[in-house]
Amino acid sequence: MTDLKERGVPVVTEGDPPPRRTRLPSAVRSVAKHAGLSLLALVMLYPVIWMVVSSLRPNNDIFRSPGIVLDSLQVSNYGTGWNALASPFGHYMMNSAIVVLGCIIGNLVSCSMAAYAFARLDFTGKRLFFAIMLGSIMLPIHVIIVPQYIMFSQLGWVNTVLPLIVPKLLATDAFFVFLMVQFIRGLPRQLDEAARIDGAGHGRIFLRVILPLMRPALATTTIFTFIWTWNDFFSQLIYLTDPDKYTVPVALRSFVDSTVATSWGAMFAMSVVSLLPIFLAFLFGQRYLVKGIATTGIK
Amino acid sequence: MRNGMTRRSVLRLAAGAGAGAALAACGDGGGDAGADISGDPVTLRFTWWGSDARHQRTRQVIDLFTKAHPSITVKGEFKEWNGYWDSLATTVAANDAPDIIQMDELYLSSYAQRGALLDLATAAKHLSTARFDANALDTGRVEGTLYALPTGLTAYAMVVNTDLLGRFKLAVPDDATWTWDDLKNLGAQVSRASGGSVHGVQSWGFDTGGLNVWARQAGASLYDAQGNVGMPPDVLASFWQYLLDLTTQGIAPKPSVTIEQGAGGLDQSGTATNTAAFGTWWNTQLPSLAEASGQELRLLRQPGESRAPSPGAYLKPSMFWSISARSAHPAEAALFVDFLANSTQAGDVLLTDRGVPANTAVRAAVLPKLSGADKAAADYLEAIQVGPAPRVTPNGASDIEAILKRHTEEVLFARRTPAQAAAGFIKELQAEIDAA
Amino acid sequence: MSALDARPRKRDNHARPRKRDNRAAVAFLLPWFGGLALITAGPVAASFVLGFTDYNLIQPPRFNGLTNVHRMLSDERLHHAFGVTVVYVVVSVPLQLAAALGLAMLLDRGLRGMAFYRSVFYLPSLLGGSVAIAVLWRQIFGAQGLLNQVLGVAGVPDRSWIADPDTALSTLIVLNVWTFGAPMVIFLAGLRQIPVMYYEAAAVDGASRWAQFRAITMPLLSPIIFFNLVLQVIHAFQAFTQAFVVSGGSGGPSDSTLFYTLYLYQRGFNNFDMGYASALAWLLLLIIATFTAVNFWAARHWVFYDD
Repeated sequence: MTDLKERGVPVVTEGDPPPRRTRLPSAVRSVAKHAGLSLLALVMLYPVIWMVVSSLRPNNDIFRSPGIVLDSLQVSNYGTGWNALASPFGHYMMNSAIVVLGCIIGNLVSCSMAAYAFARLDFTGKRLFFAIMLGSIMLPIHVIIVPQYIMFSQLGWVNTVLPLIVPKLLATDAFFVFLMVQFIRGLPRQLDEAARIDGAGHGRIFLRVILPLMRPALATTTIFTFIWTWNDFFSQLIYLTDPDKYTVPVALRSFVDSTVATSWGAMFAMSVVSLLPIFLAFLFGQRYLVKGIATTGIK
Repeated sequence: MRNGMTRRSVLRLAAGAGAGAALAACGDGGGDAGADISGDPVTLRFTWWGSDARHQRTRQVIDLFTKAHPSITVKGEFKEWNGYWDSLATTVAANDAPDIIQMDELYLSSYAQRGALLDLATAAKHLSTARFDANALDTGRVEGTLYALPTGLTAYAMVVNTDLLGRFKLAVPDDATWTWDDLKNLGAQVSRASGGSVHGVQSWGFDTGGLNVWARQAGASLYDAQGNVGMPPDVLASFWQYLLDLTTQGIAPKPSVTIEQGAGGLDQSGTATNTAAFGTWWNTQLPSLAEASGQELRLLRQPGESRAPSPGAYLKPSMFWSISARSAHPAEAALFVDFLANSTQAGDVLLTDRGVPANTAVRAAVLPKLSGADKAAADYLEAIQVGPAPRVTPNGASDIEAILKRHTEEVLFARRTPAQAAAGFIKELQAEIDAA
Repeated sequence: MSALDARPRKRDNHARPRKRDNRAAVAFLLPWFGGLALITAGPVAASFVLGFTDYNLIQPPRFNGLTNVHRMLSDERLHHAFGVTVVYVVVSVPLQLAAALGLAMLLDRGLRGMAFYRSVFYLPSLLGGSVAIAVLWRQIFGAQGLLNQVLGVAGVPDRSWIADPDTALSTLIVLNVWTFGAPMVIFLAGLRQIPVMYYEAAAVDGASRWAQFRAITMPLLSPIIFFNLVLQVIHAFQAFTQAFVVSGGSGGPSDSTLFYTLYLYQRGFNNFDMGYASALAWLLLLIIATFTAVNFWAARHWVFYDD
């Protein structure tokens, strides 16, 4: 481990995997690996596949015919589900998108700033503030929500997206602050020192040196914020009372009532539809996750 | 320096939030329910729980109302059951409750006795209750004050799948005379004949309906007149002993399967998936069940009614309309509830979605329009003999079904004997009532 | 919070004036201070005060001194919920992290179709607390579910793993492990920050893969492993949504999945007992803070920072 401490500034290498000791059975090993992963993928995806299949079944069949073999195809669930609530489902997706966008911007800007301070600056009360930050996510939302709702309703913010977005602009999402702190601390100090010798202040170091190197962490933050906000039910339920402002999770749940017949087919169809944006976000976003230090080209 | 500032602002905010909570909680009532309807534009918030089908019907009714009253806008806030109560509690705490609130029997006292609901007598000018039976109206009274108007009525029933009985060559029992033992015997025959793919009975014990019927057939009641737990422990123990027998004798599915189906809701129940011949339901659930099952379902009276000293059956208000005590526009809210409860125009749209209408005039207008399972459900209500409705769930006991469910589970999984469960249930429920 | 110490600098603390950093820190932490003061502090303080009251949400809170604390001591369901939660944390967090790290390393380098697998393995995590998850989970562990079909009892609804008090908690643990996508992605991002040249150098030296893992991956990834550990422990202590959705809010069957926060929620919202729920929340905060402090203390011995 000591040799690592003495390591210098990483040298640029292109993103190819390191050369492996290639032996004869490597093709066999690769096939086995793929087979194993595919099997695992199948097991993991079984519920998802079941959901997609169910969205294509007539409503009555969903719980009467178990398994994932589709014997009759019914795409009408999608049309029914899309128009089942007060507004077309796309309306709720737009509402969700607005909240998501605000939260992503908020988290990216505010959390990275706070993280830089905690990771690279030396200041009075640092440990105390860090403990407070972590402590702030240890209280369950269910006891915070009522006083918070009272506070926001006095500000006149209820039924707007402000109670959902403003907290993110103010770095209240300690998860991402801590995540970024850990990433920044993984970056070699020599980089900042070099910039400092060149006369750069903290603002410049942050913007020019640290931020570009944090791309995986920023991509992670973006994707997670997207997914978690898209799925967050409780606070959106509480703060958005007007159905015009409902978001996807709130809308999806209004299909379900356990005491009467529920349009499960339509609900699953809309679940599939609402899964698409986050799946696509992940599919494209994950390319940036893996462009780490090895490919960002530090010189 | 920075720290000091932060600390001060923290304190100021904490004080602010605390004061806000207190202010919100004791905020005085809103407007005057006896006032004339304002000609100025008024916006009402109306909240209910349900599934998408109910949301659609309710929005149609809102449209009908606002067409007749162009100065009033009604914003319909629809939620699913759990989110509904979380959201309602939060908004009430913040003095920000919707004006018109769909209410459930379980929660009526909890909200009414704590001052969250409007005394509907003060709104008599706009809201008529003339077309309601006295018995039905009484279900919306708490300590003598009318806080809620029943939307519709419903009664506990035994749903039988006659196609399944036919498949196993069994006759449909005569529900005028059948007993709990008959249900056991018949159920056992179904389980045996099917070889395990179908069970005779879908077990119950998760809602208050079955418990009330059992208590009443024994001449007892779940709560006494003062709102304390009045259930004799031995009657309660015999209720669980019966359910336990169903399970151990293979008449009902294994406990874990029973619990899974219970948690899955109507669509995943034994009745809906045609894996149980008998199941207890509220009569108004028949249409949903029939649609899900696709087979021939019929409503039977509860077993044991002919032997009971007084009927176990009773009419339960399926849900209520109520108005927030802090509504700024109680007169307009009352006018809207009047439309919901008294207008045949609204009844024609809502039909039996919220129970068979409790308003006698609306019921008379709606009944001829029903067909199939809807009609069968309404006919059942007319046919059965009912006793006086049980006392409204007392303040503090709104979580009774969770307590009941947990004790039923303990009995079915043989973690407690029925007698132990009975003692535990009564103690726990009484403690909740005492604490409220 | 020892892991935050800038330990190498401690020695010259006295010599170096720290004013400049303080000013920069205020600037960088301005949004955070704002959030603390405007968003977090008020409700947090209010919940603390409410912990010493009898508050039913509808009427004003009434101070009742230490009544709530006394109640906690004799509340058997609370003690049970604490036990359930600790089992869940202790079992599911290591399993989930191991699965996430293992797959992240497998998917990190040298395999065709990585992007595809990554996305597929992440897909379950996208469902997270969705309302569909209850139904979907029944398709695996229910009486008619995949597991029973594989075990060969298809057609005969024999046993439901999800609704049996002996196995229900295990299915929730599996559910948590199943949604390992978030820590996996964080591991992937962390792995990508390790310069490839270290592995190249090690390979030239003839180091085995295990030796490479011990000497390079572990130390360089340790801040990220630490992060995942701390956050997953906090997260698991607060586990709510999945248990709520799968058990229909009851924590059943027979309280076997009654997580701490689920119990707290039931008290607060179902029983209009928000004063007690607030007290419970602060007890939970103390418990989580203790576990987190232990984590930070232990981190001295295994987490490696470059600074």
